[in-house]
Amino acid sequence: MSETLLRVEELALHYRTRQGAVRAVDGISFDVERSEALVVLGESGCGKSTLAKTLMRVLPRNVGHRSGRIVLGDVEVSALPDERFRREVQWSRMALVMQASMNALNPVVRVGEQVAEPLRVLRGWSRRRALARAAEVFELVGVSTDFLARYPFELSGGMRQRVVLAMALIAEPELVILDEPTSALDVLTQASIMNALKRIKRELGTSFILITHDVATSSELADRVALMYAGQFVEVADAARFFAEPAHPYSQMLMASVPRLHQRLRPEPIPGQPPSLFDPPGGCRFAERCPHRFARCDREPPALPFGDRHRVRCWLHADDAQPGDDS
Amino acid sequence: MTRHGAPGSAPTAGRGRWRDLRRLLLYTAKRLLALFVTVVVGVYLTIVIANMGGQVDDLRRVQIRSEAAEAARADPAFQDLSPAERNELIQRQVALEVERLRLDEPFLVRSVDYLQRALRLDLGRAEQMHSDLGSRAVRDIIVERLPATLLLFGTANLLIFFVSVFVALWLSRRYGSALDRSVVALAPTSAAPAWFYGIFLILLFAFVAPLLPAGGMVAVPPPEGRWAYALSVVRHLLLPVSAMLLSQIFISIYSWRTFFLIHSSEDYVEMARAKGLPSRLIERRYILRPTLAPIVTSFLLMLIGLWSGAIILEQVFNWPGLGSLLFQAIGHRDTPVIIGGVVIFAYLLAATVFLLDILYAVLDPRVRLAGGRQ
Repeated sequence: MSETLLRVEELALHYRTRQGAVRAVDGISFDVERSEALVVLGESGCGKSTLAKTLMRVLPRNVGHRSGRIVLGDVEVSALPDERFRREVQWSRMALVMQASMNALNPVVRVGEQVAEPLRVLRGWSRRRALARAAEVFELVGVSTDFLARYPFELSGGMRQRVVLAMALIAEPELVILDEPTSALDVLTQASIMNALKRIKRELGTSFILITHDVATSSELADRVALMYAGQFVEVADAARFFAEPAHPYSQMLMASVPRLHQRLRPEPIPGQPPSLFDPPGGCRFAERCPHRFARCDREPPALPFGDRHRVRCWLHADDAQPGDDS
Repeated sequence: MTRHGAPGSAPTAGRGRWRDLRRLLLYTAKRLLALFVTVVVGVYLTIVIANMGGQVDDLRRVQIRSEAAEAARADPAFQDLSPAERNELIQRQVALEVERLRLDEPFLVRSVDYLQRALRLDLGRAEQMHSDLGSRAVRDIIVERLPATLLLFGTANLLIFFVSVFVALWLSRRYGSALDRSVVALAPTSAAPAWFYGIFLILLFAFVAPLLPAGGMVAVPPPEGRWAYALSVVRHLLLPVSAMLLSQIFISIYSWRTFFLIHSSEDYVEMARAKGLPSRLIERRYILRPTLAPIVTSFLLMLIGLWSGAIILEQVFNWPGLGSLLFQAIGHRDTPVIIGGVVIFAYLLAATVFLLDILYAVLDPRVRLAGGRQ
């Protein structure tokens, strides 16, 4: 069952601006297996959403540099020309739930039509057949099929979020990327959407990439966790391992900053600010804020292997490295 | 309802529909009343202003007196009357004319009378002007000038509207390109009005390089045959249409392009891109369709704007349209003609606004449904 669905190698994406290049995604590698959920955690502005947009190829016009390989199943997606990517991969194999789902629906088109639209346009299905399929997906995400004929403004925020989720699932994609799907919703709605996602993962075997800054909510769905910092993944690990014994200093400090139930100690904030992505520091990008900083941190650490499917970008975990080592 | 056992959904739905219908009728009636009041106020203000609050009456009385005196002096039949008798005759003539024009009644009373006749679209007779065929009826005068204005402004404005909307949509997908930036840079050229460009165009293309006629609507004498006539009209159209195009096209493209740019950065447009929809479909269903209401509004307002023509442009190009008619009417203090033009415009505007109210509901479900529910 552990078949690799998505493999991303050295993905980079820089934006062109007046002040210079913004290195929003800078050398990211990871893989996702079938029916696995990868949670990408990170602070605002660390490049999470850019990662999602790069995978889906919905980028703004000021892209300066794009490189790296994206392999979905046995197709090297990153090598496909735009038109073939649109016809063969977009939405039919890989779908996106955008950050601002409240506003992701066209206000003047009925919800059902919008959900069914990819099938009609990309697969040429008849209206009746596509709407019947839309009704199925509505039930799957827990929206009454009465809403098919409604307009988006008639739905509550949670309902709209579910409809957008239904839209992502309509073409039975193998991978769904969720970019902060629940950050605008109340806790109860968040929980029920997370439950719907878990059920879908179990029943359909869909893989998810869940992008969020909310450690607590993400832990429900996560099989794997990737922690992003200043355009890079600083740690990728199994969820159980990551939450229990994080290896990177940033991961450790992040976990210490999350409030828990029955906790005696106060949550610890992480001092300092993340670096600017215009001109990230030369060595380790977290060095500025890191309590374990040592001489070697002036050079950029690679993603070092640290056990099975576990990588950490930190010199502390290099085999030959010890704090105080001046090599 | 409890007698039927089930909580009868049919009667409820029926009652709901009846309630919606009643609400719709009430809303329509309210809108019509409000628009009617607007028209009444607008027309009444025009009547008061065109008569200078009644001061035109004094001018007219002086005019009647001098005309009567002139007539009495010129008529050989009255040559041998004594000055007293002649004076009495003039007095009698003036009184008769004043009574005929009801100048003896206070202006306030007559203004109300004007108003109700104007509202019944009884435009009356012009005082000085007449149509080329010699009719004094204001209706005939206006109808005679209407085709010229519609031809010129219809051609130019439709061209400007459609060219700018489609070019703007195209540009908004390529903003920041060299072409886009040059349109933005050229937008301030619209600070000058069309007649300003008209003067230069006439200078260049009618005098420096005499390719096109300097003014008028058709060659004198009018060419024989339908095709030759049409060709002549087209040749006369070219310069004024170009002048209007020059003065409006860039600002128009610029503002529509900004409008589309704002609306194409909506989240649902990006979502449509992520869904892998072809860009033509995105433009049609995700950009044009949600923004149709403002587009239709500006289109309809442009259409009725044709009615007023443009005074200076028509003067510059010697175009026999409604603009120059209004200019002449103001010069002659011919109030019925001025008021006639305004009355028709007021009705057109009110009808358009009413039509827009309905169109909004058709185009935008948020207007249609929210109005019926709350």
